[in-house]
Amino acid sequence: MKWQKRLWRPEPSFRLLGKLLQINWFYVLLICVLAGVGYLALYSAGGGAARPFARPQMVRFAFGLVMMIVVALTSPRLLRLLSIPVYLAAITLLTLVLRMGHVGKGAERWINLAGIQFQPSEFAKIALVLALASWFHRIDIRRMGNPLRLVAPALLTLLPVVLVLKEPNLGTAVIIGVIGASMFFAAGMRLWQILILVAPIPFLGKFVYAHLHDYQKARIDTFLHPEHDPLGAGYNIIQSKIALGSGGMWGEGYLRGTQGQLNFLPEKQTDFIFTMIGEEWGYVGAISVIGLLSLLVIGGMLMALRSRNQFGRLLALGISVDFFLYCAVNLSMVMGVIPVGGVPLPLISYGGSAMLTMMFGFGLLLSAWVHRNEPDRVERASGR
Amino acid sequence: MAGNRPPHNDRTRPTRSPTGNGQDRGGPVRQEDRSPKRARASLDQMHTRLLGVGLGFFGLFGAVALKLAFATVIMPMEPEKRQIASQVPDIPKSDPKGQLTGDFALPDIHRATIIDRNGQTLALSLPVAQVYANPMELIDPAEAARKLKTVLPDLDEAETARRLSLRKQFVYIARDISPVQEIAINNLGIPGIYFEASERRHYPLGRTAAHILGGVDIDDHGIAGVERHFNTRLNTDRTPLRLSLDVRVQAVTRDVLQTAKDEFQAIGAAAIVMDVNTGEIIAMVSLPDYDANAFGKAPADSRFNRAVTGMYEPGSTFKLQTAAMAIQYGIAHIWDRFSTIPIHIGRFTISDIKSDHFAPWLALPDVLAKSSNPAAAHIALDVGAKKQQDWLRLMGFFDRVPIELPEASRPIVPSLRNWGLSTVMTVGFGHGVAEPPLSIVRGTAAFVNGGILIKPTLLARIQDDNSAQEADGANPDGTNTETGPGSGIGQGMKDGATGSAGKIDASGAVVPTAFRPSGGSATGSAPSASPALPRPEGIRVVSEENSALLRKMLRLDVTQGTARSAEVPGYFVGGKTGTAEKVGPNGRYLKHVNISAFTSIFPMNAPRYAVYVMLDSPHPTPKTHGFVTSGWNAAPTTGKLIARIGPMLGLFPDIKNAARIDAEMAIPLEPGIPPGRRALGPGNDPGDPRIAARREKAEKAASKAAEKAARAARRHSERG
Repeated sequence: MKWQKRLWRPEPSFRLLGKLLQINWFYVLLICVLAGVGYLALYSAGGGAARPFARPQMVRFAFGLVMMIVVALTSPRLLRLLSIPVYLAAITLLTLVLRMGHVGKGAERWINLAGIQFQPSEFAKIALVLALASWFHRIDIRRMGNPLRLVAPALLTLLPVVLVLKEPNLGTAVIIGVIGASMFFAAGMRLWQILILVAPIPFLGKFVYAHLHDYQKARIDTFLHPEHDPLGAGYNIIQSKIALGSGGMWGEGYLRGTQGQLNFLPEKQTDFIFTMIGEEWGYVGAISVIGLLSLLVIGGMLMALRSRNQFGRLLALGISVDFFLYCAVNLSMVMGVIPVGGVPLPLISYGGSAMLTMMFGFGLLLSAWVHRNEPDRVERASGR
Repeated sequence: MAGNRPPHNDRTRPTRSPTGNGQDRGGPVRQEDRSPKRARASLDQMHTRLLGVGLGFFGLFGAVALKLAFATVIMPMEPEKRQIASQVPDIPKSDPKGQLTGDFALPDIHRATIIDRNGQTLALSLPVAQVYANPMELIDPAEAARKLKTVLPDLDEAETARRLSLRKQFVYIARDISPVQEIAINNLGIPGIYFEASERRHYPLGRTAAHILGGVDIDDHGIAGVERHFNTRLNTDRTPLRLSLDVRVQAVTRDVLQTAKDEFQAIGAAAIVMDVNTGEIIAMVSLPDYDANAFGKAPADSRFNRAVTGMYEPGSTFKLQTAAMAIQYGIAHIWDRFSTIPIHIGRFTISDIKSDHFAPWLALPDVLAKSSNPAAAHIALDVGAKKQQDWLRLMGFFDRVPIELPEASRPIVPSLRNWGLSTVMTVGFGHGVAEPPLSIVRGTAAFVNGGILIKPTLLARIQDDNSAQEADGANPDGTNTETGPGSGIGQGMKDGATGSAGKIDASGAVVPTAFRPSGGSATGSAPSASPALPRPEGIRVVSEENSALLRKMLRLDVTQGTARSAEVPGYFVGGKTGTAEKVGPNGRYLKHVNISAFTSIFPMNAPRYAVYVMLDSPHPTPKTHGFVTSGWNAAPTTGKLIARIGPMLGLFPDIKNAARIDAEMAIPLEPGIPPGRRALGPGNDPGDPRIAARREKAEKAASKAAEKAARAARRHSERG
C-alpha cells in the first residue's frame, strides 16, 4: 500500500541530521541538569556514596537520554500509528498487574518484565497522552461541540483510571484522570460540556471516600491531623517537616543533613528525596530545584503553544501536565499539603519506571517541537 | 509532504498545499471549514486555554515555593534543632574538619517540668546523650571499640568494630547514655566520636496520674494527655506547668479504686475528684492504667482513659438531670407525685426491679431516693422532647466535655430528629445516651454549687503565684491572696486552723467549722456560705433556691435511698447511684453485666468536692448478696475514698454538729402539698405515657392523612 511505503521509506541521513539540529537542546540541557541534581541527591542519600542509588540511576538516565533522542526524531505520523499498540500494551500490562502483579507495600503495582521490576501505571500515563492526542488530532476542533465525539476518548481515559484504582493506587488514578481532563480541556471541549462533567464531582467524592481502603482513609485522616499518629502513618510527614525546618535558609550542608543521614527520614531516596535536598541545601537550594522543574514545565507549555498542529499541541501539553503533576503532588506531599501517596519526584527520585517513562515522555515532547511546523487542517484554514 | 519536509524554520513559508496529505483525509471539506475567521477563532481559543493551563502551573509552583519558604525559613518545625545540637564540649581539636560548627552549648533542658498543685514533680526531662562516630575520621576502629567497651559495658565490641570500619559518615554507637558516661568517653580522646545532646522524659511516679500526663514519643513530643495538649507550651515556656491535681489524693484514689476493682473483679474502673466551685480536677484515675515512662509499650486498653474517653450510659444518675430539669422549668415541684406503674412501649417495658415494694405513686424526692425508672420517665414526659433536648444541650451533654485532654471525645446521643416518646422516656432515666464520666460529674456539680455550670480544668487556678501556692500546701482551694502570707504559714498545721475556726462556728450557723477552708476563712464575715470559697464561674443553669433543694435531695439518697452505704459520718455525703446494663456484642443489654457508678458530693451542706467512682462489670461477692448494682459496690467505695481523702483536702469530719446539720438538710420523702396548689399525681397526670402515646399516634396519623390528601390532590390536579 502507498501509505506503508511512505511510512517505512528510509529517510536520507541529512534530513535526520537536520531534525537532530532542530531538537531544543536547551531543554535537553535542562533535563540533564536536573538529572545531575538527582545524582548529587542520591549520592547523599546513599550515605555519601555512588552506590546503591546514584550510579544505577545515572545508567538508567543515560539509557533514557538515548531513547528520548530517538523518540524525538520519530515522525508524528508514526507516533500516531504507534499510539494504538502502545495504548493496548499499557492496558494489557495494567490488567496483568491486577492478575499476577507483585505486591509491594500493600498494593499490587509492580510487574516483573524479563527480570525488571516495572510499574505499568507510569507507562499508562504516557500511553494515554499519546492515544488522546492521536484521537483529538483526527477531530476537527471546530466540531468539538458534538458530544458524541467525546465518548471514545472518555472511555480511553476511564479504562486506565479504573484499572489503576483497582490496584489500588488512588494517587496515580487521580493523576491519570487529571491528565485526561486537561487534554479534553485543551482539545477545545465546550465550556457547557465541562460544566456538566464537573457538576457531579462532589457527589462522586463522597462515593469514592466511602469505598476507600482503610489505609487510604487513614492517610487522609493523618494528613488532616498528623500528630494523632506520630509513630505510625504520621511519622513520614513529621520527619519530613522536621528535615525541611532544620534546613533553614542555606541548609545544613551537602552530606550533612542529620535527618536524612541518620535515617530518620524514611524513603529518602525515592518519594522524600526533595526533603533531603531541602535539609542539606536549604531554602535556596530547594527553591532552585523548584525553579528548574517549573522551567521544564513552562518550557513544555511554550512548545505546546508553538506547535502548529493539534497532535503536537496536545502531546506537549499532556506530557507537561504529567510532569507537572508528578512535581506538584510530590512536593505537596513532602511538605504535608496533601496526603502521602507513592509519587516520586521525576528525574530526581530513585526508580526506573518513573525515570524511563518520563524520558520517553520528554522524547514525545521534543518530537512535537521538532515537527512543530507541520500545520494541520485548522491552521491551514486560518491562513496564518 | 509535510511529514518529510526538512523541518527548518519554515514558519513563515506558505504552507497551504493543494494535495491532501495523510492528515486531512477527512472526507469532503465543508463550506464553514474554509472560513479563515472561524478557524482562527478556534485556534485563538485553544491558545488561550493552553496559556491558561500554563499560568495555572506557574501559580501552583508559586504556591509550592511559598509553602517551601514557610516550611524552611519562615515557620520551620522547631524543636528538633536541639536534638541534633552537638553536645561536645568546646574542644575544636576534636573537630578537625569543622563539621560541628555552631551550637556547643552545654546541655540544658527544653521541655518544661509538670508539677501538681503543691509543687510535686509529675514529669521532668533529664539530659542524656547519643554517641555516634564518623568512621571516616577514626584511626583504628578496633582500638576505638575496645576503649569504648571500658565505659559502655553493654557494648558488643566485635559488632561495633565492624560498624566503625564501614565507609560511612554516621554510625550510632549507643543511645541515651548518662552525662557521666559521656565525660568518660570524651576523656578517652578518640577522634571521630561525637555526642548528640538530647533529653528524656521521666515520670517519677510511674502509674500515678499516667492518664492525665499521657506520654511522649521518642522525640519528646507529647502524644497523649496533658503532654500533648500543652505540647507547645511545654516546649516554649520553661516555667513548670502547674496542674490542679493533688498527687496525694491522686495516689489514694488510685489505691482505693484498685482495691475495689480487685474486690469486685471489675474489668475496669474510673474515679474523679473535682472541686465543684472551681472545676479543678483534684484526682482522675482510670484503671487499668500504665507506666507513663513506657507509654509506647502499654496496651490500648490500659491507655484508654475511662474518665474522659469512655462513654457509658449514666443510668439512674441521669434521673437527677430529669428532676433538676423539671424543677428548674417549673414543671414539677417536690410535692408532685409520679406513677411507678410499668410502662409498655412497643415491645419494651419500663419497670423497676423491685417494683412490688414501691407505692404506685411517689413524690419527687422519693423518686430519686428509690430511683424509680417509670416515675423518671413520667417526669421526662411532663417536660417533653424539646425542653429535654434544650436542657441537655445547656448542660453540655451534647458536646465534647471541655477538658485539657486530647482524649476527650464526643458523647453518643440519639439523633435529634428522631427524638420520639421512647427516647424521651429512656433518656429520662439515663439510657440510650452515653456520656463520659467527667460530663456527669460536671453536670452534678452544677446543681450543688449554687447552680453554675463550671468548666472542668486540669490547671491549678493560680499558675504563676508560686509563693502562695507553695505555702498553700495541703489546702487545695487556691486560697485568696488577700489573706496575706501570714495565713499561708498557718496552713501547714491543720489542727491549729481547725481549732481557731471552731470559735467562728458560733457565728457561722450553717457552715460547720471543719469545712471552712482552714486558712482563708478567718474573716468569718458571711455566715451563709463559706466566704473564702471561690465563686463558681460559668453559666447559671439552676437557681440558688433550686440548687439548695437539689442538695437536700442528693443528701436524701444517702440517708434514706439507694446509696446508704456511701455515708461517712461527719462528711454529709450526698449523691446519686447509677447502674446501667452494658450492651453486649449483639446490641442487646447484658443482664448482670453492669456499669456501676456513684456520683457524690461532699460535704453536702457546703459542697466542696464531687467524687465519682465507676466500676466496669463488677462481680457479685458474698458481701453484696449477689447484687452488682451501684449501691453495693461503687457507693461504699466512694465512702471509703472520702474518708481517706477528706483530711488531705483540709476537711475533717464534723461529728459534733452532725445532728443539727442533718436536721437542716432533711427533706421529707413525701412532702405535703402547699395550700392552693394542685399537685401532679393520680387524676392530674399530663405526662401519662398512654396519653402521650395516643397523642403521638394521633399526630402521626394526622400527618399521614395530610400527606395522603396532598398526594390525592396532586393526582387529581394532574389528571385535570
